[in-house]
Amino acid sequence: MRYKILSVDDSKTVRIIIKKAFKNYDCEILEAANGVEGLAIANKEPPDVILLDVTMPVMDGVEMLTKLKSDPNLKAIPVVMLTAEGGKDNVLKIAKIGVRDYIVKPFKEDVLVQKVGRIIDLKPITDAPSKNKSIFDPAKLLVVEDKPAIFAQIQEGLKHTPWQLHGVATTGEAIDYCGANAVDLIMISLSLPEDAAFTLFRVLRTSLKTKYTPIFGLVVKTDNAAQQQAQQVGFTGIATKPLDLPDLEAKIARAMNLDTSERYFRIDGDMFVMRLPETCTPSVIAEVGNYLRGKVSDAVDSGIGRAVFDLHEVKRLDMQLIKLLLTAMQTCREVALQYTLVGSGPVVAECKGYEDTKGWQFHETIEEARQSFAKTNAAPVA
Amino acid sequence: MPAIKDIPDAVFEETITRAVKEVFSTMLSQPARYVPLDQPEPESLELEHPQVVGTVGFIGAINGLIYLYMDVAFAQKCAASLLGVSEVELSEMGDEAVNDAIGELTNMTVGTFKNQLSDRGFACRLTIPSILRGSRFRIEPISSATRRIYRFDIAGCAITADLLMQPGE
Repeated sequence: MRYKILSVDDSKTVRIIIKKAFKNYDCEILEAANGVEGLAIANKEPPDVILLDVTMPVMDGVEMLTKLKSDPNLKAIPVVMLTAEGGKDNVLKIAKIGVRDYIVKPFKEDVLVQKVGRIIDLKPITDAPSKNKSIFDPAKLLVVEDKPAIFAQIQEGLKHTPWQLHGVATTGEAIDYCGANAVDLIMISLSLPEDAAFTLFRVLRTSLKTKYTPIFGLVVKTDNAAQQQAQQVGFTGIATKPLDLPDLEAKIARAMNLDTSERYFRIDGDMFVMRLPETCTPSVIAEVGNYLRGKVSDAVDSGIGRAVFDLHEVKRLDMQLIKLLLTAMQTCREVALQYTLVGSGPVVAECKGYEDTKGWQFHETIEEARQSFAKTNAAPVA
Repeated sequence: MPAIKDIPDAVFEETITRAVKEVFSTMLSQPARYVPLDQPEPESLELEHPQVVGTVGFIGAINGLIYLYMDVAFAQKCAASLLGVSEVELSEMGDEAVNDAIGELTNMTVGTFKNQLSDRGFACRLTIPSILRGSRFRIEPISSATRRIYRFDIAGCAITADLLMQPGE
């Protein structure tokens, strides 16, 4: 998500200075040369902040500000006046129409950035790629649900995660909570009385704090009308009741753009370990498959020469899982990464039954696998 | 509120000096120094080189126009610094970029001047900047307007502020 700043000034010079001032921050600068253009852009691509000059041809800043404040869709956009029109009387007159701040030209770029930074959470652009939050990082989730049993179910189903859940029963409580906390994801029951879920959704989307927060609708599986309405207004996702909690967890992780790779991949001493969970659902296999090539490449890049596919928790082998393992082996071969398998019990026995897997040999523990590398220092079995 | 004719010259001198100093130090990190003229109302501005002239008006309790004269080379230096580009890049952007930059510097200077007048009780509002370019031209005020000319030195370059004012509403 990138914040948008709309600069409305007839001077191209000022618009260039503004771009220059924010070039090191993760935001997009939209430009308009007068009030008419400014309103058109604000309608088409609502910005998070408007920097507005006063004296402009076609439509001046005072007229544009007045029109903005009388438009229900635009009136909440914070406006910072950036103008040579100072003087106490002028400033007071314009402030009465409703502005968040007032900067009189000439201005220092850092003052401009500082004042805008009080309105939006400006983040510097770093050269290093930004690290996504991990599935093991704490997060705040708000559940707006008037049925305590549903909240209790969600709490129980997600208790193994580091996420902090807060439950409220009304929209008023939800708004208060969001005002006081940085919430990472919100779930709203679509069956709250009087369409309150949709009203709350609109309120949350007009607040800068929750404008980009993922919002899920909780709805009975058969209530197609509510699901359709939620999709139309822009809910991030839908979770149907009865809730499939592992599925809900996966949806939440995706919506919060969490890096889930640490669940499956790690570096253990001098080895790259891919650990598969007890139940490898299609979504787990897809998730592992998505990370696989990048993770193998990162391991090789950091000097790792050996890999272990750890299946000791896996209870059942199926074709999807076999395909994933074959892909993993092929990926390792492509980069000359030695690999072996760890597993025991039913999975080892099942492997004997498939043509592709009957030759696979397993070690019982990671340690045993490590020792086998040390002993043979040769390409392992596959 | 005093009449415009009752405002001492020293007030205008102080007000325009503060405006020029504030704009050039804030926007270009260049200190400006007021250079008193030998004669208070010279016949000619004695402009020998091609000039870029920014002008912005103000209307209200006082009606006025302020012209900021500077030679083309200095105007280009100011524009490049303001836009954060090299002089080569500026030449690729063309004269329009220089005109716009000088127009904005003039707007800020006249705005700072006008805002001080407004705070003294002379409420005015600014007009949109415009630019003149040329050599050997002469601007003559109408008879009811008073004219004051001030010179400044900025990093060895001269700029001239030409103030034309008359009572307003």
